[in-house]
Amino acid sequence: MSQENRPARPPGRPPESGFARLSRTEAGLRGPFLCFFTSAVLWLVVASVLALVAAVKLHRPDFLGACEPATYGRVAAAARDTFVYGWGFNALFAVNFWIMAQLGRFEFRNGWLATLGGATWNLALTYGVVQVIRGDLGGFALLDLPREVGPVLLVAFLLSALWSVVAYARRSGGQHFVSQWYIVAATFALPLVYLLAQLMVLWFPTVGAVQALAHAWFVQNLLFLWFGASALAAAYYFVPKILGRPLGHYYLAPIGFWTLFLFSGLAAPAALLGGPIPVWLQSVGVVASVLGLVPVVVLAINFLSTLSVDGGWGRSWNSTTLRFVVVGVVSFLLFGVLAAVFSTRDLSAVLAFTSFAEGQVQLLTYGAATMVLFGASYFILPRLTGSLWPSTKLVHVHFWSAFLGLLVAVGAALAGGWQAGHQPSAPSTPWALAGSVAAFLLLVGHVAFALNAFGMILASTTPTSEGRHD
Amino acid sequence: MKNLNLLLAGVFFCVAAVWSGLLVTAQVQLGSLGRAPAEEGGPLFPSREPGLAIQGRAVYVDLGCVACHTQQVRPAGQGSDIARGYGVRPSVARDYVLQPQVLLGQRRVGPDLANYGARAKSDAELAAFLATPAAGVNHPPYAFLTAERSAALVAYLKSLRQDYSSPEAKLKQ
Repeated sequence: MSQENRPARPPGRPPESGFARLSRTEAGLRGPFLCFFTSAVLWLVVASVLALVAAVKLHRPDFLGACEPATYGRVAAAARDTFVYGWGFNALFAVNFWIMAQLGRFEFRNGWLATLGGATWNLALTYGVVQVIRGDLGGFALLDLPREVGPVLLVAFLLSALWSVVAYARRSGGQHFVSQWYIVAATFALPLVYLLAQLMVLWFPTVGAVQALAHAWFVQNLLFLWFGASALAAAYYFVPKILGRPLGHYYLAPIGFWTLFLFSGLAAPAALLGGPIPVWLQSVGVVASVLGLVPVVVLAINFLSTLSVDGGWGRSWNSTTLRFVVVGVVSFLLFGVLAAVFSTRDLSAVLAFTSFAEGQVQLLTYGAATMVLFGASYFILPRLTGSLWPSTKLVHVHFWSAFLGLLVAVGAALAGGWQAGHQPSAPSTPWALAGSVAAFLLLVGHVAFALNAFGMILASTTPTSEGRHD
Repeated sequence: MKNLNLLLAGVFFCVAAVWSGLLVTAQVQLGSLGRAPAEEGGPLFPSREPGLAIQGRAVYVDLGCVACHTQQVRPAGQGSDIARGYGVRPSVARDYVLQPQVLLGQRRVGPDLANYGARAKSDAELAAFLATPAAGVNHPPYAFLTAERSAALVAYLKSLRQDYSSPEAKLKQ
């Protein structure tokens, strides 16, 4: 790891920033970051309202029953799309780019291009979600936006996200850190996967069962290689940085990185166990799912060895950023173990088609990715706006609502799925009710976060290092 | 991984290898499947959907029914689908070759519909159920459906059948 004109730092530790005022690096990305971030928070609130409506409809199917646009299938699809493409993508664009600019000391001079990408993305998504509510939706989750939206989203993604790759290519000093690998790889892999999935499922549909396999492959990559990899990049950045120590067993990180990228997509057929695809493909999926434990073990060694030294857990609890990030890390590890264990034939036979799989997805998209993104927001936003978080109470409301909502949502989905798998005739209403309570808690947390974030952005002054809440 | 090109090449290899290994191979294996008789000279299955059922499929998709209903029956050793009466044999890839967009589904809030046509109620009963489900049944009321859309949806649901023999899945006599 060569370093030019720069003091040496131990491997496994991101460089210090410690800027007293907004650095040139941060100044260039302030506009695009705030564009993506404000869009993300707005989408998050919309997604939370839709998710609450969908959750209520699961135990009160006649709720808004006379209103065709509020049909469960449409509302659930809209909630999923707004959460994933609205909140998740916008927030990851912002955080990924900020991390890449920081690590590479990249001065961003073409903010308008990224902002144009963000505007295009959000306009296309708005059109797509309205069409979904109006009934123009497909049969595949996360590929259910109207197909004409796909190419627009792809172009917008390239305009918005590829700056991360540019930042890596033009980083000063040639330093590199594990967070950069994950972000570059995620940014490069996702457009490829999205393009191929769009072609195979929507534009030139393959023969029946292969469509289902292509869809499973897309979802697997979207979850692991975009949400998972980006969340891990942020966690790899913030944990050692805030604790002020090198990442434990850093030399293992490349193994975790490459095995995650190789085995994640290969595990896709495990989602179709017992389905109308060749048995050999199903076996490949199961084997790859179990091999997915390799990156999980590496990640566990990296993070747990860093957090278990010198009161790291306690210090994490006292840092708003790390509190969220550590919940995200633990969620990811738990998700990795569940994904491997419950892809085996015996367990899949019982739990398939129940809410169990939904609980696992929530553990990744919300427990891991969203919690890490929240933590990153608490670190980055004060630096870019130069403002304090307006209300400490709202920060606490946000954390506890999100954390409890996560526990209840995932717990109810996993337990409800387990019960439905073992006793199909048992009533599911209690678990659905718990799901509604969780959706309400999450909505409360997200509104608190939005109020605080928008209050901070509106009070934005000349950025300084004061008032940071990390 | 200091070299960007090497990093991108490695990631490209991971994605391309998995894509070709899983999806291209699957397309090569299944892409030429078509309708076939269970025995030489017999009728071809799966049957083509009648026109009204094609319209009904669009209603099924528009309403998002796939969020709660699957259309795939797993073999006896993999779940209890057959024991629960969802089908008489496992679903196979050939069952879906005529479907422009497969609707396998991922979650069962309601029952599997792969072979619903074989156990369906009468048209009138089914239409009445869709408009006003019986008390205690966890199904939303679709009273807003026009008579034409309701009839099309009923026709589609009744067209869903996997109770024929195919070369890959023979019915037990």
